[in-house]
Amino acid sequence: MATSKVEGSSSLRHAFGGVLSVFILLLIGVVAFSIRLFSVIKYESVIHEFDPYFNYRVTQFLSKNGIYDFWNWFDDRTWYPLGRVIGGTVYPGLTLTAGTMWKLANSLNIPLSVETVCVFTAPIFSAFAAWATYLLTKEVKGPGAGITAAAILAMVPSYISRSVAGSYDNEAVAIFALIFTFYLYIKTLNTGSLFYATLNSFAYFYMVCSWGGYTFIINLIPMHVLLCIVTGRYSSRLYIAYAPLVVLGTLLAALVPVVGFNAVMTSEHFGSFLVFIIIHVVALVYYIKGILTPRLFKVATTLVLTVGIAVCAVVVAILVALVASSPTKGWSGRSLSLLDPTYASKYIPIIASVSEHQPPTWPSYFMDINVLAFLVPAGIVACFLPLSDASSFAVLYLVTSVYFSGVMVRLMLVLAPAACIMSGIALSEAFGVLTRSMKFHITKYFECSHTEAPAKLGESTSTESSAPLENMTKSDTTEKPEVARKEKVARRKQKKEKELTENAHVKPVSAKKEKRPLVLPLEASIVSVFLLIVLGGLYVLHCVWAAAEAYSAPSIVLTSHSHDGLHVFDDFREAYAWLRHNTEVDDKVASWWDYGYQTTAMANRTVIVDNNTWNNTHIATVGTAMSSPEKAAWEIFNSLDVKYVLVVFGGLVGYPSDDINKFLWMVRIGGGVFPHIKEADYLKDGQYRVDAQATHTMLNCLMYKLSYYRFVETDGKGFDRVRRYEIGKKHFKLTHFEEVFTTHHWMVRIYKLKPQKNRIRGKSRKSKLGSKSTSSKSGGMTHKNPWN
Amino acid sequence: MAKGTNDAQLLIQSLRKAYASTPTSLKIIDLYVVYAVATALIQVAYMAMVGSFPFNSFLSGVLSCVGTAVLAVCLRIQVNKDNKEFKDLPPERAFADFVLCNLVLHLVIMNFLG
Repeated sequence: MATSKVEGSSSLRHAFGGVLSVFILLLIGVVAFSIRLFSVIKYESVIHEFDPYFNYRVTQFLSKNGIYDFWNWFDDRTWYPLGRVIGGTVYPGLTLTAGTMWKLANSLNIPLSVETVCVFTAPIFSAFAAWATYLLTKEVKGPGAGITAAAILAMVPSYISRSVAGSYDNEAVAIFALIFTFYLYIKTLNTGSLFYATLNSFAYFYMVCSWGGYTFIINLIPMHVLLCIVTGRYSSRLYIAYAPLVVLGTLLAALVPVVGFNAVMTSEHFGSFLVFIIIHVVALVYYIKGILTPRLFKVATTLVLTVGIAVCAVVVAILVALVASSPTKGWSGRSLSLLDPTYASKYIPIIASVSEHQPPTWPSYFMDINVLAFLVPAGIVACFLPLSDASSFAVLYLVTSVYFSGVMVRLMLVLAPAACIMSGIALSEAFGVLTRSMKFHITKYFECSHTEAPAKLGESTSTESSAPLENMTKSDTTEKPEVARKEKVARRKQKKEKELTENAHVKPVSAKKEKRPLVLPLEASIVSVFLLIVLGGLYVLHCVWAAAEAYSAPSIVLTSHSHDGLHVFDDFREAYAWLRHNTEVDDKVASWWDYGYQTTAMANRTVIVDNNTWNNTHIATVGTAMSSPEKAAWEIFNSLDVKYVLVVFGGLVGYPSDDINKFLWMVRIGGGVFPHIKEADYLKDGQYRVDAQATHTMLNCLMYKLSYYRFVETDGKGFDRVRRYEIGKKHFKLTHFEEVFTTHHWMVRIYKLKPQKNRIRGKSRKSKLGSKSTSSKSGGMTHKNPWN
Repeated sequence: MAKGTNDAQLLIQSLRKAYASTPTSLKIIDLYVVYAVATALIQVAYMAMVGSFPFNSFLSGVLSCVGTAVLAVCLRIQVNKDNKEFKDLPPERAFADFVLCNLVLHLVIMNFLG
């Protein structure tokens, strides 16, 4: 009777627990969605930044023209005159997802516009990502850890920064796909079911469709398989989890046009094939070991080793020769810059110039993952007690993502789920120990008050508390004196908890009979639980602050608070709207590549270069034009059929990310392809300046002239609020360009190329004829300006 | 060296004897695996002779053979009665999973075949 009653109560408790878990997960989803809505509330429902505008334009095209036209789309309104094959160079996952959601909503007669769906895709998928984290951590440790990890991920600032409402970028769905793929892999590993292996391949396919970071998965999983084999954890479930994934995954990856045959030919995937071969060898070895006697097995090993090593050497030699014959050893530039952080700055200045690709600073770790930064080591320790396949995977995932986040600040995003999983495990284990201690002490107190026999305490309490873990308290408390030694004792006793500042004195635990349950003193437990809750509260406060203040700026609309209220700077959209309404449809606009996506999406004009940055020479051409004097720049732009030039200038209002601040990168990139542009020409004594001390080349280049034309008329002195000095050349006229539009705060300035003069009269004609003959004679010199 | 060859012969004999005791159903699966791998090798040899264009057809052909071999090995693992990890798994479920995976694999192959 008693046992069934106990079972009944425990199953009732489980039922309650299940319902409560579902409710909590729903709330977590709501939190994840709502915390990302600050930008919509503070500004408006608008698409942010630069890359999302391209995705938005592609989604518009998809919704208007259908999937076949999208798949075969050749875009001629960008990278003029080269064009871009959108179908083959874009990761279609995000646009297809949003397009499907839009189609679904409209078929149900919910009239959502494409823009609304695009803006809110990221918050919806962050809710899904939180649920996927719950599933993954449940497989690694248990449901309690799962819920904690899901709650932490819903709010972690690093993930919020790339998935606010309006940040319509690949990472919005890719992080969900990443966590879900890992969950299915661990589920397959734990259950050994081929069904989950198929689902795993599908999730991996979705990840390949969504983001270039899929190479992280296809290298992390083989590393984990290798780790399991090396640590002696090979099992048939490992084979079932890995081998079908490689075959199906490679095939599915090759289906995506942007990956294509790279799935079998680039070094990023070779790791998976190598481990595929290794796992087959290991499986064979285990099989033969199973059917042979040990002595014969030893004979077999010696025989196989002698033959095998010879064969292996030959194969490895062939492989090394194949790989070494290509200059980058088969790795793409972006992957190489991850493995060798100095690679990009030496060889690919475009990758080095993006601010997201710089290594992060220490404060950014605390800004982005806050409290998790010191919960993670506790989680790592918790994963080792006990070590299972799944927890070894979690540790490996964390270690690799910490390394990569140290290389590139953008990859803090990949660290976020790993940190959340680890912290969830740590917090859940800590709560488990503390609540167990509290329960133990409270029941002991009640037992004490009921029965007077203290001798019985040993058995009743030892049966009540759970199975003994390694006893951390016995050595500490029974021998050491009762003086509280705060951190040292606390850290050794409570390895699984993070900072402990309580000064609870250490009460020796009452001696037990056979089993010694892992309990802590009651006061320590209560204080610790309270402090953990306070820690959680501080974390939530920080996340909400970060989401509201730091990561919700749409960067296409700027605001500033001054003594007379809120100023809104909507200059970018003003400029694009002017372009859209006052120029011909086929006019070409030249600007620095940052603004390409926005120009094509909002102004609907053809651009020369955009954020895709796939053609370095084309970008260098534009950079050279911006760095050259007016006449040479006009020649370059005229050869590209450009009609309008757009520059961003922040000197009047103090906007620091304008083109003059980016100008040195234009010089470097241009100089990388056209050697007559030398960076030293633009620097005075190694310093970059545009005031009266600037070099002659700097004061005469197109960027300077287009930025500061008529700037002196604003305040009479030409004081640049960003550079904080007066500019060098104040009064000048433009000979080859004419200003057609400057926005309200002078942030965007648009110029038109003046048409060539019909007739050349007098002196200029004679010099032109003379120069033409001399230039034809001296055409064979090297280092000559190719544009003259 | 004589000891070596003796050992090798002894090894092969004992291997053969141990293998002969496996159930017939597993031997059929093993035969299927050998057939799939042989087909893959024939395709690779053909590619070496004729050239690899169109590459996607070659890739889908070889990977379909390798894929069915891998899935058959997974089936064998799950159906083998000596395997203690899978003693709760009914063989019908294992076979159903095998069929499903093969369906998915061949769907992808047909798409990629060009």
